[in-house]
Amino acid sequence: MEALSPFELEVARLLVETLHLEDFRPEDIQPEEPLFGEGLGLDSIDALELALAISKAYGVQLRSEDKENRRVFASLRALSEYIAQQRIR
Amino acid sequence: MNRHWVQLPERGNVAALRLIHWIALHIGRPAGRSLLYPITLYFLLTATAARRGSQLYLRRALDRQPRLRDVFRHIHCFAATILDRVYFLSGRLDRFEVRLFNDQLILDQAASGQGCILLGSHLGSFEALRALGVTIQHFPIRILMNTTHNQGMTRYLSELNPALAATVIPISGGPDTLLKVQESVAQGFMVGALGDRVVPGEKTVQCRFFGQDTPFPASPLLVAALTGCPVILFFGLYRGGNRYDAHFELLADRIDLDRRRRQEQLGEWAQRYADRLEHYARLAPYNWFNFYDYWEDDAP
Repeated sequence: MEALSPFELEVARLLVETLHLEDFRPEDIQPEEPLFGEGLGLDSIDALELALAISKAYGVQLRSEDKENRRVFASLRALSEYIAQQRIR
Repeated sequence: MNRHWVQLPERGNVAALRLIHWIALHIGRPAGRSLLYPITLYFLLTATAARRGSQLYLRRALDRQPRLRDVFRHIHCFAATILDRVYFLSGRLDRFEVRLFNDQLILDQAASGQGCILLGSHLGSFEALRALGVTIQHFPIRILMNTTHNQGMTRYLSELNPALAATVIPISGGPDTLLKVQESVAQGFMVGALGDRVVPGEKTVQCRFFGQDTPFPASPLLVAALTGCPVILFFGLYRGGNRYDAHFELLADRIDLDRRRRQEQLGEWAQRYADRLEHYARLAPYNWFNFYDYWEDDAP
C-alpha cells in the first residue's frame, strides 16, 4: 500500500470529515483510487460538498465551467496537487 | 431495467412532433388539436408500456380500476400539452388563459434578488411556466435538465427557442452539474428542477406517496441545504381547452440539516414535497406525465 504525502493526508482528512465517510480512515485512502463511481463511490452531491469545503479551507474555487474538473476530482492525488497549486491560504 | 424512464422514448418521434408543430403553427391550434385524437388512439394501441404505466398510476389517483377511456384521456392530456408547448416555446401565450395561484410568492422572490430552487415535477406542463417566467416576467431562471436521453428532441426544442435553451443546465452525471447549480443560486438565479424522478445511482429518500414507500431524489433538497436558499414548489396544471393553472408554494425558507439527523430531516422535507405532489395529482389526475411503472409494481 502506498503511503500518502503529508498534504494528501490533510486533504484526505478533510474529505473523510466533510463527507462523514465513517467506513474510511484518511490514511487508508489509496492516492490513485477514483473518488467517484467505483473506488470511494462519491456522487455529485458529495462533489459539491467537497468543493464548498475546499473553498472554505483553502480558498480554491472549483468552477463548473472548468473543463479540468473531471481530472481534478479523479483521485485524491490529483485533487491534492490541484489544491496545492491553486491555494491562497 | 426496462421499467426505468431513461429507457423510454417518452417524447415520441421527433419527425411526428415536427409535423404536429408545423400544423399547429401554420394551420392553427384547432387543426392541431383535432389530430390529437388519432394520435392518442395510436399511442393507446401501440405503446403498451406507457399504457400499463398509466393504468398503474390511475388506479391510485382515481381510487378505482381505470377503464380504457381513462387511459385515453390521460394520454390525450399529455398530447395536448405537447402540442401547446410549441406555442409556449415560440412565445405565443396570448391564446391561453393561465390562472395564477399564490404568484406573489414568486414575484417577491424575484424582486429580492436572492437565488432559489424551484422544485417542480412531471405533473402538468413545466414548459408553460418556464416560458411565462423567462419570456414574460424575465425572471433569471435556469433549468436542470437531462439532455442526453433524447438528443434529437433536445436539439429540436432548442431550435424553437434558442434563448430558452441557453438557460438549461445539463445533468452530466459528473461533478460539474451541482457546482453549476450552486453557482447559479449564489448569483441570484432561480434554478428549476423536477423532483419526482430518480436517476440511477443518485441519492434518494423514501417517502410515503399514494400510500406506498417511494424513493425520491435527494439532490434538489441537499443543494438547497448547502446553499441555504429557499425552495419554492410549482405546478403547472393543464385544465382542458386553453386553460392552465399555475400554483406556487413555499416549501422552505431554508433547509437546515443537522449532520447526525441528516437523512431523517431530509426525509421530512421530501415528504412535504411528496404530499403536495399527491395533492395536486389528485386534483388534476390526468396531468401525471410519468408514463412508466413508477412504483415498480411489475418488478419481479
